[in-house]
Amino acid sequence: MTEELQQILTPEGELAGEPPLGMEETRGLYRAMVAARLFDRKATALQKQGRLATYAPFEGQEAAQVGSAAALRTDDWMVATYRDAAAMWLHGYPWKLLLLWRSGDERGNCPPEEVNVLPPSITVGAHMLHAVGLAWSARLQGGDRVAVTYFGDGATSEGDFHEAMNFAGVYRLPVVFMCQNNQYAISLRRDRQTAAATIAGKADGYGFPGVLVDGNDLFAVFRATAEAVERARSGGGPTLVEALTYRLGPHTTSDDPGRYRPADEESEWKPRDPIERVRCYLANRDGWTEEWQRAIEAEEIAEIEAAVAEAEALPPLRPQEIFEAMFAEMTPQLREQRGELLDASGHVPVES
Amino acid sequence: MAFEFRLPDIGEGLTEAEIVEWYAQPGQEVRLDQPLVQLETDKAVTDIPSPRAGVLLHQGAAPGTVVKVGDVLAVIGQAGEAWNAPGTDASPTRGPEAAPIVGSLREAEAVAGELRALPLVRKLASELGVDLSNVRGTGPSGRVTREDVERAARMSQGPEERVRLSKLRRTVAENMTRSWREIPHVTTFGEADGSAILAARSEMEGRRSSPVPWEALFIPALLPALQAHPEFNASLRGEDLVLKRHYDVGFAVQTDDGLIVAVIRGADRRAPLDLADEVQRLAWSVRGRSATAAELSGQTFTISNIGAVGGRFGTPIIPYGTTAILSFGRIGEQPVVREGQVRVASVLPLSLSYDHRVIDGALGRRFLSKVIEGLERPPGR
Amino acid sequence: MPVLNMAQAINQALDQALAEDPRVMVLGEDVGRTGGVFRVTDGLQQRYGEERVVDTPVSESGIVGAALGLALGGMRPVAEMQFMGFSYPAFDQVISHVARIRHRSRHRFTASLVIRIPYGGGIGAAEHHSESAEAIYVHTPGLKVVVPGSPDDAKGLLRAAIEDPDPVVFLEPIRLYRSTKAEVAEERFTVPIGEARAAREGTDLTLVAWGAMLRETGEAADLLLDEGIDAEVLDLRTLVPLDVPALISSVQKTGRAVVVHEAPRTAGLAGEIVALIQERALYSLRAPVARVTGWDTVFPLKRSEHLYLPTAERIAAAARRVMET
Repeated sequence: MTEELQQILTPEGELAGEPPLGMEETRGLYRAMVAARLFDRKATALQKQGRLATYAPFEGQEAAQVGSAAALRTDDWMVATYRDAAAMWLHGYPWKLLLLWRSGDERGNCPPEEVNVLPPSITVGAHMLHAVGLAWSARLQGGDRVAVTYFGDGATSEGDFHEAMNFAGVYRLPVVFMCQNNQYAISLRRDRQTAAATIAGKADGYGFPGVLVDGNDLFAVFRATAEAVERARSGGGPTLVEALTYRLGPHTTSDDPGRYRPADEESEWKPRDPIERVRCYLANRDGWTEEWQRAIEAEEIAEIEAAVAEAEALPPLRPQEIFEAMFAEMTPQLREQRGELLDASGHVPVES
Repeated sequence: MAFEFRLPDIGEGLTEAEIVEWYAQPGQEVRLDQPLVQLETDKAVTDIPSPRAGVLLHQGAAPGTVVKVGDVLAVIGQAGEAWNAPGTDASPTRGPEAAPIVGSLREAEAVAGELRALPLVRKLASELGVDLSNVRGTGPSGRVTREDVERAARMSQGPEERVRLSKLRRTVAENMTRSWREIPHVTTFGEADGSAILAARSEMEGRRSSPVPWEALFIPALLPALQAHPEFNASLRGEDLVLKRHYDVGFAVQTDDGLIVAVIRGADRRAPLDLADEVQRLAWSVRGRSATAAELSGQTFTISNIGAVGGRFGTPIIPYGTTAILSFGRIGEQPVVREGQVRVASVLPLSLSYDHRVIDGALGRRFLSKVIEGLERPPGR
Repeated sequence: MPVLNMAQAINQALDQALAEDPRVMVLGEDVGRTGGVFRVTDGLQQRYGEERVVDTPVSESGIVGAALGLALGGMRPVAEMQFMGFSYPAFDQVISHVARIRHRSRHRFTASLVIRIPYGGGIGAAEHHSESAEAIYVHTPGLKVVVPGSPDDAKGLLRAAIEDPDPVVFLEPIRLYRSTKAEVAEERFTVPIGEARAAREGTDLTLVAWGAMLRETGEAADLLLDEGIDAEVLDLRTLVPLDVPALISSVQKTGRAVVVHEAPRTAGLAGEIVALIQERALYSLRAPVARVTGWDTVFPLKRSEHLYLPTAERIAAAARRVMET
């Protein structure tokens, strides 16, 4: 069964349906997408400067992430992956922590108390079950919080995707499964990942709706997510949203897409750029100027640079934390091992 | 202050990269994150963005050169700033004094009164016969070391020389140990008047050209006692006392290697002269190492002439598999009391060891009395 | 005091926890309506409802992953894996997520959950139903692993596990479910996690065991006593964190040790225990430490099961060898 592709904003910036957002909201999300792309490029640069470990860029997927995250309530849970920095940031996860995590510092996995985002998941597929459990616990505790989980086309092949979808369907849990089908799982093309015509259609096997949207269309993504969130919140159960998009960059900074995909494919997708079409839309309604563009870029990059500086200025992690963070209270074994690593003065002896 | 931008590991374990093309020349201004240089690695060709805004003061290497991770790739600073390449590589900053990451295995806390010695050392102590509780440990935390044990062993013996026991000695030692360990020994002593034996010996020597071995005279004298008290001519096997009806008497032969017992088969069926020949023959065989197994084992009773080396009384060890052994000492003149008068007599000392599981004191005395009776009977009676 | 078997004691612990803490919930395959394949959760769904005692799809990874999500959201789930042999599909959730969420988030997110797993052989079960893979759980940093050997310990340890802010793998020796009975106090009580117990005191050697093997080890100790060997039986009760002081002081007292487990020998927990004894009690040892374990083979089917599991005689024989050295 082929799902109908939902689209509201064409690649040229023309409306093909009712916009779900007003001008101000649209400008706000446009700005967020611009900020996201600036962050993505900055993070890539930092990696090449040796200041970040491997980074997974999301360029091309800004609408899929920003549009969906914007449809959430602040107390809704988000469980996302290593590529979903934009979504996580929009839902409250500070740039600084996203950078810290990418530089191999556990403090990056520790968002502020009021931020309902789990640390980014590296393993593929397992995290969706955590969203299922979070949604479940929200309902058991009598609230109407919803959990959204982000994953790619590759993740739909993992057993845990099936188990998460199944639990969500059986218990009619308030979960939104947000699949960014960016056409590639590292080097494997989407048509080799599953024989299903669409990923959205898989929802059928679990007894709840699947929706296919143009993932580069901010409006379509926003509307589909808002509808799915509303369904979940009102007890209508889960939804699978498949956002068709494209990963313009490599899988990570260690990857070379030239080895497995043709260069002209990337240029095919460039005209469908998510940010550009919103810019066109805004420009046509006097919602965008060059000046404004420069201004917001300057402000956003300044914020990002500040986050970089803050992250890099943090004092080093205390070695003791390796042992102290295992349990609520250290076991005797951990205490002993901590002692082995540290000398009496608390310094870690340096290997010659 | 000029910033030295060192080549980072940009691809999960890369160790080097080749410069392809520089996008800026020394003296040129560069913006933050502006592409600075193109590198080729094992994985990809990639542009490296500038980590600083400023003026490029120095290019680390020329196009086509391979730069290692950690080498200076570029130096960025202020316009007009000088930067001198160091003559040698900057030494990596050293942390605090190097020490092993994992501390040495801390010795477990000693338990009060605990004797601390490695199993191997304990074994050595037991082999050398050293009592560990008397040894002062000089090892970590008072541990007794191998050297401590060896020193203790040396100190208790004074200067020494190690001589390996011969195989014969080792075998004898094994057998003796076994006898000693398993058989409860009791030794009882007696004295016989030796005049009859002496007379018998002179008479026999008259008929023979060679000296008469004492054994040839002792054996006939004790046979009646063996016949009267079969417990002395027996073998304890488990719960059974096997009384032998044959009389194979063993006697000790002195050799260079020590005492070896030779066995006279059917001693009761031999006349004294025959016994004398047999004793001599066996002694000669034993010393010549040509005695057969049958001649060296299987005795039912054993005698030992310690008088031959000047001994009088002793506590002989019962050969394993028998129940008794009798030692004869040197016949010597001793003062004796007869009918209230002190006389000089030839006294033959006797020492009888027997297996107390099988033979009690009264029986032991009775046997010895019978032996003495036999020894004191005039020849021919 | 009432006398309960281990299954009943565990049931009582769950019952009391469900009654006293609204965050506690039980989930697993067949735990609700039918009360569990061993009836350990019998009656709980009737009393506490389907929302708190949940029958799940056949989905072990799902059960553990959802339990983690539930715990992150503020519940205190007690998840059941129907048999240890079926817990393997959930290893990724346990090892990659449950065990490390606290560490990687520096206490910001924690997994206060219990995973109950019936384990071990000796009941003639079908293939895959007799596994003892405790070493894998023990070797995963971030988990506590507990194995009661008696009904009273089962109740106390389970309550302690539920109240523990960290993830606890609670191993239930299948063979002991019904075969051991003991007096179990009716009120709520806990047995501290991380404390071993001398099931029997002795002076000549230390027999270290846990779970179902405690039975054979006790029988071996009886045999040995008849031969004049006074063995101490140390029931570890907790595998992580191991009660090292109890282990060492027992071995220092006796000077000899035998470690017993039904799990396979190579890289089994006995290796870790022997390493600890060697590190900290070497000078007290009068003989090498022996191990009596399952073989490095697949657990045999029912007809050959008796060849695999350590018997009282095998344990006693090892003890005698250790005494003779």
